[in-house]
Amino acid sequence: MSTYLLRRLFQALVLLLIVSAVGFSILHLAPGGPLSQFAAGGEMTQADLDRIARDMGLDRPLPVQYAEWLWHMAQGDWGRSYRDQQPVLHIIVAHLGATLELMLTSTLIAMALGSWIGILGAMRRYSLFDSLATIGAMIAVSIPTFWFGLVVIWLFSVTLGWLPAGNRYTVGDGSWLNQLHHLIAPSMVLALVSTAVWSRYMRSSMLDVINQDYIRTARSKGIPERRILFRHTVRNALLPMITIAGLQLPTLLSGALVTETIFTWPGMGRLFLDSINYRDYPVVMGILMFTAVLVLLGSLVADLLYGLADPRIRLA
Amino acid sequence: MTDATGPKLRPSMPRLGRRDMLALGGAALAAWGGAASSAARAQGAKPAKPAGQVVIGLSQEPTVFNPLMPSIEVDQGIALNVFNPLWLADPEANLMPQLAVEVPSVENGGISEGGLLWKVKLREGVVWHDGAPFTAEDVKFTLELINTSGFRARTRQGHSLVRDIQVLGPHEISWRMEKAFSPYLSLLAETFIVPKHILSKAEDPNTAPFNNAPVGTGPFRWGERRPGEHLTLVANERYFGEGPYLERAVFKYIPDLTALYTQLRTGQIDATVGVGILANFYEEARKNPTLHVVTVPSNSLEVIMPNLGMPALADKAVRQALYTSINKQAILDTIYYGLPKPTESITPQQYWAYNPDLPKQEYDLAKASKLLDDAGWRRAGRGVRQKDGVRLEFTVSTTSGNALREQVQQLMQQDWLQIGASMKINNMPAAVIWGDFYTRSKFETLLVGTNFVTGNDPDMSTRFNSGAIPVKGGAGGNYMQYQNAKVDELMLAAQTSFDRAERKRLYSEVQVILRDELPVLPIFQYAPVEGIKKGINGFRPNINYKSNTWNMHTWSWAA
Amino acid sequence: MIPAQNPAAAAAPVLRAAPRRRLRNPALRRFCRHRLAVFGACAVTLLTLLCIAAPPLLPYSDTFIDIRARFTPPGGSSAHLLGTDQLGRDMLSRLLMAGRISLAVGFSAMLISMVIGVCVGLVAGYYRGVLGTVLMRFVDAMLCFPSIFLLLAVSAFIEPSVSSIILLIACTSWMEVARIVEGQIRALRERDFTLAAHAIGAGDARIMFRELLPNAVAPIVVAATLNVAHAILAESYISFLGYGIQPPTPSWGNMLDNAQTYLESAPWLAILPGAMIALAVTSFNFIGDGLRDALDPRMEGR
Repeated sequence: MSTYLLRRLFQALVLLLIVSAVGFSILHLAPGGPLSQFAAGGEMTQADLDRIARDMGLDRPLPVQYAEWLWHMAQGDWGRSYRDQQPVLHIIVAHLGATLELMLTSTLIAMALGSWIGILGAMRRYSLFDSLATIGAMIAVSIPTFWFGLVVIWLFSVTLGWLPAGNRYTVGDGSWLNQLHHLIAPSMVLALVSTAVWSRYMRSSMLDVINQDYIRTARSKGIPERRILFRHTVRNALLPMITIAGLQLPTLLSGALVTETIFTWPGMGRLFLDSINYRDYPVVMGILMFTAVLVLLGSLVADLLYGLADPRIRLA
Repeated sequence: MTDATGPKLRPSMPRLGRRDMLALGGAALAAWGGAASSAARAQGAKPAKPAGQVVIGLSQEPTVFNPLMPSIEVDQGIALNVFNPLWLADPEANLMPQLAVEVPSVENGGISEGGLLWKVKLREGVVWHDGAPFTAEDVKFTLELINTSGFRARTRQGHSLVRDIQVLGPHEISWRMEKAFSPYLSLLAETFIVPKHILSKAEDPNTAPFNNAPVGTGPFRWGERRPGEHLTLVANERYFGEGPYLERAVFKYIPDLTALYTQLRTGQIDATVGVGILANFYEEARKNPTLHVVTVPSNSLEVIMPNLGMPALADKAVRQALYTSINKQAILDTIYYGLPKPTESITPQQYWAYNPDLPKQEYDLAKASKLLDDAGWRRAGRGVRQKDGVRLEFTVSTTSGNALREQVQQLMQQDWLQIGASMKINNMPAAVIWGDFYTRSKFETLLVGTNFVTGNDPDMSTRFNSGAIPVKGGAGGNYMQYQNAKVDELMLAAQTSFDRAERKRLYSEVQVILRDELPVLPIFQYAPVEGIKKGINGFRPNINYKSNTWNMHTWSWAA
Repeated sequence: MIPAQNPAAAAAPVLRAAPRRRLRNPALRRFCRHRLAVFGACAVTLLTLLCIAAPPLLPYSDTFIDIRARFTPPGGSSAHLLGTDQLGRDMLSRLLMAGRISLAVGFSAMLISMVIGVCVGLVAGYYRGVLGTVLMRFVDAMLCFPSIFLLLAVSAFIEPSVSSIILLIACTSWMEVARIVEGQIRALRERDFTLAAHAIGAGDARIMFRELLPNAVAPIVVAATLNVAHAILAESYISFLGYGIQPPTPSWGNMLDNAQTYLESAPWLAILPGAMIALAVTSFNFIGDGLRDALDPRMEGR
């Protein structure tokens, strides 16, 4: 077990190194730089721009800049944002809460709703409900998230006026009710795809279990159908879902990025997009490493939990 | 308008000049008139104590709070409220003393020896937000910090000429200029004075804690900032000037313009300055009974900027033909809903140096074709003209994600094809456009909104001087690579003169030459739409600053 | 963000009709029993045919600007069946021309990503060892990036044209395919027929392409179909992020991008291209689903 963990951790480190090298090169080689935004207005002269680029060390060779970044990173120094000079980790943590709030809420919605649809679909296979759920799931994953977000805003905020069009809360009103009100639309949009995915996986997992011998045995022993469903089928069907939850993380992060942009949600996704647009290299790299760690951790935890939950799986 | 970095961000800032203020009074915006003529009317009804808050929606996030460091317009909007310059330009470009007691001039003896010696008397009794007194040492420190090597000063334009700063007394300072440079007066009107007693102790002024908790002398003190969400300023009750009448001002970051407008309409924000309301929402917003909606002019111009390093575009006849075949009326009336006004000059119409007598562009495809015929451009394959083996084809780039600009491009494309010029659209995100693509003159032509002024001074040397071409080793912003000795000479003469009439004559002549040679093709001057809730008095747009929060200390809620 | 691939992995057919007549090919028979897949196939075929054949028959070209007729709502004018856009261009004509581009992007990006993914997966699965590990770790690393980062970063390098958009999408969507193929090959490699091929002295390339690949074709075909759906969706996201196909060439993605501003005053500008994307992508997902069933009998009924 511990050798397994060690090996996984070593692999993760190698992966992080690749991710950072690839990310750093792509980012720095891409046209435009952190000073682009100041060239637009026309007030800063080229002499000013060149001088500041020199001061920021942007004129040095790329490998040197990468080595420096890596060296600082190894010491736990994530660097400072080019925009507000704040430490990167501080900025990420400041934006993390909003993203977690959104992601957790939508994951909960997706799990609850998705599992329910999946279970019901599997129990009543080929029923009208099952068919509609299938079609609905297919459509849900087929429409662009940003388009769906716009339609939601147009319908619920602009036309009906039921929900706020964006933001995490009304300034000056910090009550949880107010926050909840703001959370509905974006979490709904973000949950759409996850719910669809979750319901399909759940349905398929349920069908797997239903056909297992031990369910048949249970049934033949005369255990009530309800009990079979909840004590045996659902419980076992949920097992593989642990992995799915872990692997869904990158998709969820990307989805959060789009959702946050549309709903002006002050989270990491929007920070990431802004930082890319401003070419705020330290922050982009920071977020990249942060999410990479999160993703790797997600899959590791999923594997470990799976091993714990299902004794048939041996981690070696 | 999408010029700054970010998909939906705009740098061109709305300001309102005197002319438009008058127009406003006469317009059907009766209720608005109340707020616009603020100074007079609102005086009577001002609260004795700061009260209430205003939530201002911004489409870009303010992140730079050291007012001397590279910043964008929303950052200036904050700096204008936390700090003070020595003097401030009002909407009519009159300089009003702030931290100085009077604005130095040749007449009052503040500027002498042919513009080389400057002497400034400072206001007494001003205190920093932390209670420390403001003195001449702070001004000296500020000017020196800007020129300190290693400090990322936004610009050293003008400042680099300052020599021999002397503190003559606690509230009097003088310095010498290496050469006479009249736009420096304007540049100082946007140079905010920073506290010596805090920043001189910082290890590295680039990353000092001060940069995220600024201490100024302005009408509002730093409150709190939640990155990515909003920042709050609170009233400085010890402010030396008028006001403030508001207890709090909240600047909220809403990156999407449609969302910004929606929030203004649903009342989640009280005002939007800067980017404001998209043109297509203007009509609807005007009908909203709770809103004052104003078009405010900006000193930004929408232009086609050709790269004169390209053989086809280096030909003046080509530029004139392209200009003649731009359907300005369709662009302005239809795509921009008649909000901005066409312009022929690169100088904003509200500036004193503006030359109103330039020939008016007329949309005439036949005339454009004739111009090209006469210049020897003959139609070749697929109707595209050619001369000496050079085909008349080029790309037009702009920042992507701007629906209106893309429409303009496609309209031009259709017209230009008819006169035998083949244009392709090549739009890219702002960070790419404004990188080397722009500053190293790698573009063919750009459709951009930018300005050709020096602060609130009409000087356009950094944009048109032949010594300002970065790709040829210059230090300015002459990215189209324009060279004209006569223009250089006129601009230099205007820079060293402190006589406004004389300068106006010189700049007028420059405008005539630029209108003829068209190093940029002017389309219109921006007139963004800003909205503010009725009930807030004191809002008064100012073309000379990048944010109309410049006078927020005089804003107040109607009782 | 572009989740098209995920659900499909678990999605299962549901709707089925009683077999009407017996088809020879069992796979084809299974596919035809899958009503949604048949619907998807019909929709895609019809859409493709319309996009190819119809535009020349329409009264307006997709790029003809008539600024006076801008914002004509659908049905608002007999000349413009689906109305006009912000420059007065015919929506129907633009939708169909955009379909050509979007479908072409979808298919081409799929082809390229399949080639990359299959090659990487084949090599990694067959050779394993250091080469296989390095390749698959690289795949893992690429999958660590949020797909939006890859799209944003890579697109900053290229001039936005149809072909570069295709490359861009292909370059960011081959990893899943590589994983699937690698898994398949790894399993097949130990099977008797591979060992037999080795025994008679077949070369590596021959074994890979003649023996292993044909046996792994079922999941590849399914992945390919889903990849088309993914690519069409990705194109719209790229437009949303500002790197899309340049005007005046229409694509469903860039039509949608330009329409955001007018969501309220002219909602058809957003609804029509959005619906086309949804229709096309859903259809491809249905087909992929049906194919999975048809090609893998063991999956039946799941």
